[in-house]
Amino acid sequence: MSVGRLTPDQGPDQGPDQRPPSAEDSIAAPSADPIEGRSPWELSWRRLRQDRVAMISLTVIGLIVLMALIAPLIAHWTGHGPNTQYRDSGALDENGLPVGPSSRFLFGTDPLGRDILVRTAYGARISLLVGVTATLLTVVLGVTVGLVAGYFGGWIDTLLARFIDVILSVPFIMVAVALVSVFSPSLQIAILVIGFFSWASVARVVRGQVLSLKEREFVEAARSLGASDRRIMFVDILPNVMATVIIYTSLLVPVVILVQAALSYLGLGLQPPTPDWGGMISDAQGVYQQAWWYLFFPSMALVITTLAFNLFGDGVRDALDPRMARLLQK
Amino acid sequence: MSADAVPAPSASEPLMRVEHVVKHFPIRTNSLVGRGGPQLRAVDDVTLEITPGETLGLVGETGCGKSTLARCMTRLYDLTGGKVIFDGQDISELSRRQLRPVRREIQMIFQDPYGSLNPRRRVGSIIGDAFAIHGIDSKKGNKRSVQDLMELVGLNPEHYNRFPAEFSGGQRQRIGVARALALKPKMIVCDEPVSALDVSIQAQVINLLKDLQAEFGLTYVFISHDLSVVRHVSDRIAVMYLGKIIETSDSARTFDTSRHPYTRALLSALPPADPDAADRRERIVLSGDPPSPLNPPTGCRFHPRCPKATDKCVTDVPVEAPAFDDPPEHPVACWHPMTRAESLNDFTPEISDTIVGLDPVALETALGATPTDEGTS
Repeated sequence: MSVGRLTPDQGPDQGPDQRPPSAEDSIAAPSADPIEGRSPWELSWRRLRQDRVAMISLTVIGLIVLMALIAPLIAHWTGHGPNTQYRDSGALDENGLPVGPSSRFLFGTDPLGRDILVRTAYGARISLLVGVTATLLTVVLGVTVGLVAGYFGGWIDTLLARFIDVILSVPFIMVAVALVSVFSPSLQIAILVIGFFSWASVARVVRGQVLSLKEREFVEAARSLGASDRRIMFVDILPNVMATVIIYTSLLVPVVILVQAALSYLGLGLQPPTPDWGGMISDAQGVYQQAWWYLFFPSMALVITTLAFNLFGDGVRDALDPRMARLLQK
Repeated sequence: MSADAVPAPSASEPLMRVEHVVKHFPIRTNSLVGRGGPQLRAVDDVTLEITPGETLGLVGETGCGKSTLARCMTRLYDLTGGKVIFDGQDISELSRRQLRPVRREIQMIFQDPYGSLNPRRRVGSIIGDAFAIHGIDSKKGNKRSVQDLMELVGLNPEHYNRFPAEFSGGQRQRIGVARALALKPKMIVCDEPVSALDVSIQAQVINLLKDLQAEFGLTYVFISHDLSVVRHVSDRIAVMYLGKIIETSDSARTFDTSRHPYTRALLSALPPADPDAADRRERIVLSGDPPSPLNPPTGCRFHPRCPKATDKCVTDVPVEAPAFDDPPEHPVACWHPMTRAESLNDFTPEISDTIVGLDPVALETALGATPTDEGTS
């Protein structure tokens, strides 16, 4: 009786359209393609893919990442090294001022005669590197502390919660200035400083969620089965906190990028001549009346990057928490 | 069996003995200042025996401590006092590590089919959790046994890879049953397993539980506030009020010769299936809400709402003992147990004004003035 019946395990199109469960399924011998539930992650990813703004932002982020990756290639194509000065070969005009965008220097040059396009591309490397690593550090620290504090409760929680409060009440920039001047400015110091001062807010959010999750019956069920604390924390609770953590992470990246730029702007980031956006913007301040492009291009790079990350983060939040999106539409 | 002081000495050795179990929760007003604050007395001196293979129904109003008692039995809570003896072993003082083998023997089915399954995990892994935690079987064998369990509780084994959100309430409760069965326990504590379900689904799940009991010789503690459900499944019924067991008897006796006024009142709330009987039946409406377990009433905890209350009920805590010529398996904690013919509506409380509504401290002083009338009852 298989007249014109489509066999489900046919062809490569097993991905998007899954057939609804029918009575047939339960009777049929174990088929080659067992009924696979859609995981909450999968559903969120589907929602995210339908969000046009988020997808455009993701593309822009992809382009920025690409720009960072191929920075040496850009240098190669233009023939301009990131730190090489072309003072005597047309990068400065007869008055010694930088030249504007031209076919040779697409983004113009800076007062030292360096190619802004190449330097902006190299700057993306720094921003993204710091943005991603400092965020990861923040999240790992924050989730661990939040999970431990929320799950164990008692004096551990009291201690950690107070510590979180202390961290949150420390004036970040002042301590950053102090730390950076004690240990000479470097990439590692920037990452550590940012990570150390950002984990507390993540820990606080995670702790709050764990406090409510650990009272749920599925945690009791795990405990009545004899599960260890570690297993309950990582197998039962953590996956339920991940949605929040991911939302937080995606919205933290642009913040971290901005903080890093701010540190560089204040002269606490990387030391010249390393190209980075904050430092370039700081340099450009003195000459923007003569060379608007020096301020414009690094600033635009920073704005576009943070905007793309922010919009993508919003999309991620809506995808992971559809209730909120629906509430906002009403 | 020799004459035992403990009520209800049963023919066979009990599977679990709950002895004078007390569970208080400290009410924390400030996280920095623990202890010493007010205590919520959820379970206060409960003694019970559960014989192998039986179903003990535990009934009582919301908030009377049924679920807390259940969690004390399964050692999800540490006890404030008393002992839980399972299979001859005192499990009330065991550490987590020592408890692990006991966990395999006592399992629990939870009330909320939505809250008791982790929404982020696949059903197969939820049911198979037991195997993973106790390190049983090989990988391949595990999937097979999980699917066998799913089939046993009436789920489609092919739904192994689905998430809890893709199941209905009744199906989810079946998942919970399968999880509890995975370790082949001796005893399952069912904490209101059907109260969150639709009535038609309730029957299915209850029948499933009964079938499984017959097949595996399980012992159930079945908690519910729904008397008709408890009547259907239980061999014996224990009635709880405000942290105490007030009456225990076999199921049939509970329904026709209950002695405690509270049990009577509870039973009168049960709608009979026969509409004519429903018209004729006498409804006993208790006045007031159950008192707060933070500050339970003195003496018999039911006295503020009891039509038969006397001064003695206010001052003295009733002892659990068989009333009239009841068998020893039917203890009741009441100073004025009811005969079959009596109706609660015929009584009005006789409590002298001097002791009513006094807090325990003031009561102490009042007692000095008012001698308790020992002669009554």
